[in-house]
Formats: sequence, structure tokens, C-alpha cells
Amino acid sequence: MAASVLARLVKSGFEFLQTSFRTTSQAGNVEQVRGYYVNWRMLRDVKRRQMAFEYANDRLRMNAIRKNTILPKELQEIADKEIAAFPRDSCPVRIRNRCVMTSRPRGVKRRWRLSRIVFRHLADHNQMSGIQRAMW
Amino acid sequence: MYRRIILLATRNRSGISPIAEHSINITNQQETKRTSVSTCPNRQRMHYNKGVCAPNNRPFSTSTALSKENEESSAPKTGVTEAKVKEEEPRKSGKENLLDLLSAMKVGVTTKKKFQALKSQKSKEQPRVHPESMESATSMFQKATTEQQAQKESLSPELVAAASAVASSMPFKKSQTESELLQQLRKHESDTEVHKKGETNNIGNIIADMKVGKHPNARSPNRPANQIRFDDDGRGYTHDRGVVNEFDAVRRRKSLFTGKRLNIFPSTTDTTETEPKEVSVPSLWDIELAGQIAAVIKHLPRNGFEEMIQWTKDGKLWQYPINNEAGLEEESDVPFHEHVFLDSHLEDFPKQGPVRHFMELVINGLSKNPYLTVKQKMEHIEWFREYFQQKEEVLKESEAY
Repeated sequence: MAASVLARLVKSGFEFLQTSFRTTSQAGNVEQVRGYYVNWRMLRDVKRRQMAFEYANDRLRMNAIRKNTILPKELQEIADKEIAAFPRDSCPVRIRNRCVMTSRPRGVKRRWRLSRIVFRHLADHNQMSGIQRAMW
Repeated sequence: MYRRIILLATRNRSGISPIAEHSINITNQQETKRTSVSTCPNRQRMHYNKGVCAPNNRPFSTSTALSKENEESSAPKTGVTEAKVKEEEPRKSGKENLLDLLSAMKVGVTTKKKFQALKSQKSKEQPRVHPESMESATSMFQKATTEQQAQKESLSPELVAAASAVASSMPFKKSQTESELLQQLRKHESDTEVHKKGETNNIGNIIADMKVGKHPNARSPNRPANQIRFDDDGRGYTHDRGVVNEFDAVRRRKSLFTGKRLNIFPSTTDTTETEPKEVSVPSLWDIELAGQIAAVIKHLPRNGFEEMIQWTKDGKLWQYPINNEAGLEEESDVPFHEHVFLDSHLEDFPKQGPVRHFMELVINGLSKNPYLTVKQKMEHIEWFREYFQQKEEVLKESEAY
């Protein structure tokens, strides 16, 4: 039972467990699978980051060809079309720095990767090293 | 036009120091708005230097563990700290500024004279002199570095030969420039060796300035003043000396092993008997057994320290003190000229034309990039080669190939 669930999950390519969806085992029972990410949006963001990492080198080189005054324009137009043909999730612009704990897309401080609410919560409970309430 | 001398090796990531003075990229401080194409290193990669890519700053003078050592060796350009640049700039202008910076640094005499001579000459003549010398030096170098280089204290003969070739192509004071170059190379080698060994010997230099802290409490229980205790009667009596004085001599020894040997037990000679057994490739059962034993022995962490130890072993936590080059150990073995002299990889490209020009810019940028491994640089060049071969027809139509 556990083996079939695991096999199903490994098949999903990037090997992350998806948040609480239902799989049917070989015996036909419907089981729930618990995942590690807060919500689907966070999962999609993770996928985008991984894909952006994969295609980073290719994009860099294609852009080097495109943003150029030396190479002929025909080549640059072809390069334009090629880079547009890359999968959409491969561009780094689509990555959103979400909060790591709550997946909040706004109000996230980059240094801690936490949203302002979680940050405040942890800081007030003395869980953040070196953070102190400001008073001056 | 800015004075631009071709840059060879700049970044001191793992002790790479510039091989020759003429290989230093010096732009006039007033003209730094027009920096060259690829001075700003790619920030996605391993090192994270904060605040580095400002137009006025050299990205090479910041915070690796080696920046202290290499400030002297990479004198004329990368030794300039940003603070120095900023404080000199508002007061002076242009050439005097540059020269003051250079003269303030620990530079050999020939370098200083050389730059003074540079100033006196017309600026435009210099870039024309150097590309020719560069070609001879680089071709010489490329021929010389087909084989492996000799390690340890001596410089390899090819390096020496290359240095002499470079020096002979310099306009003035050839013997002195040659000796300077060799000195730089030796220093670079010794720096890399020291870095590899981990600087165990030089800690004395670091702590030389520190004050000696004496242990304050060593003698105070022995003082007569501390030995009198107040009694209920009011008479007072001395502190029990007892056992304390016997162990005093023992305690005063700095370590456990400095006493005279008693020769009670025979010294073990069993270490020579164990031979390395020939182990075949461990089967899956062996791996499984080893895993089971490890799981039995491993206890759950009792406290935060043990948890952190476990995480460090797993690789989830970095090793402290932070090593900027963790995971990059084999990279430090790669000699610097393989990072810098990348012209030899351009053989499959056409000799003339925009493609060549483009690839030369790519090579130039890669040679200045301290964050990529040689393998990654090669992959970049490979990709471009394949791409241009695929697009051959398009390029031929526009007469670019």
C-alpha cells in the first residue's frame, strides 16, 4: 500500500508530494497524501524555480546573442523566436518570493524569507536571533 | 577613450594574482563611468558579495578569506580598497589621483617607475604596444601549458620562460621586470600553497598584536591574605593546604605529555602489522547491514548541539568557520592560466568577422569571471560553437560566418 503510493509520487517528476490529494491504490481504496508545501501556489512557485534553474544557462546565452550590436540582425531575430519558444516557467521573472511558512506573496522580507506576520510572531517569541524590538 | 590594458588575471579567489603588470586593467578614476563590458561578475553564482557591482568599484577587492594576503601581491589594481578610492577621489583629479593610489600601495619599485613612465608617455601609445606583446606571451604560454606543471616551491620552467618572454617584450628595464614577474609568480605559488594547507603556521603573525592575557586566579588561593578565614571565635585560622600543593606542580605543566618517561609499559608495535585488506565492491547486503548498524548506534539528538552536529554531518548545515570555497576543493588545483587564457578554445570559430568579435568578447568576459569553474566556461564556449554551426546558413546569407 505504501509502496504504490510512493511509486505514484515518484512518478510526478520532481518528486515533491502534492498537498493532500487523493490517490487510488491498487486495491481501489482512496487514500490521502500529505505533502510538504503550504499550498498549490507555493508548489507551482517551487516548480518555476527549478525550471528557471534548469534553463538559466541557456537563457543567459540566448540573451547574450540577442542583446548585441555585433551579430547580424537576422540571427538575433531567430534567437528571439527561440527564446520565446522556451517553456514559460523557465523565465526567472515569474518567480515570486513567497513567505516560506505561510506562502504569503506580499509583505515578505527577503533576508528571512518570511512574511511580516510570521516574522513578528517569531521575533516576539524570541525565535529570531539578533532581532529585538526597536526603541529609540 | 580610456586607457585599457588587457586584463589577464585579477580575482584572488584562490590566490590568483596578476601575472604581469601590463595585464592590469586600469581605468582612470574619472572615467570609470564607462567600465568595460564584463567587470561585474555574475551574481547568481557561488559567492555572494554585497554591494559589489557599483560602477566605481572594483569587484575584486572584497571579502574572501584571502583578500588580506593578496592585497599586496595583486598590488596595482586589486589591492585598491574601496575606502581608499573614495577618500582620494574628491581631493585630486585624474592622473594624479591614480598615481597617488598606486604609490601609496606596497608596490615594487619597477611597477611605480613603470607607471610614472606610462603617465609621461601619450596614453594612446600604450594600448597599441601591449596587444602585440600579449600575443607573443599568450601564444608562448599556450604552447608551454600543454603539459602538467611542476608543483611546490619551484616555478615550472614554462612559466619562467613565459615570464622572460613577457619581460623581453616590455619597453624598459627588462631584467628588472623579469625578476619582478618571477617574484610575483613565486609569491602566487606560495600563497596558493598556504591557502591549501590552511595557514597553520601563520597564526603567530595574527596573534602577535594581541595582548597576552594572564590567568588571574592562579596564585590567589595561596596568598596569606586569602588563607585566613574568619572563625566564629574570632581567632581565625589558615586555609587547608592539604592536597592542593601536591598537585600544584602537576597542574603547572602546560600539557599532559611533557614529563619524563617512566618506561613502565612497552610501546606498541602493532601498527605495522595491519595491512589494508582488499575490499571488493560492497554488495547491497553489506550496505544494508552498515546502514542498520549506523541506525542502531545513532541516537536521537539529546540537545540542540547534537542536532546541529547531525545536520552538519548530513550536509544540511554549513561547516563553521564558514569557508567560502566549500565544495570547490578541486577547483583550487586548477592553475590560473586555464581560467584566463581561453583563446586556444576559439580555434573552431572563423578568424574574422562579427562571430569572432563576439566570441572574443565572450572569452574576455569569461576570463574575468572568478565564479565559474573551468568546466562551466568550456560548456559556455561549446554551446556557442554548436549554435553557430547550426545557424551557419543564416550567417552565410548575411555574410557573417
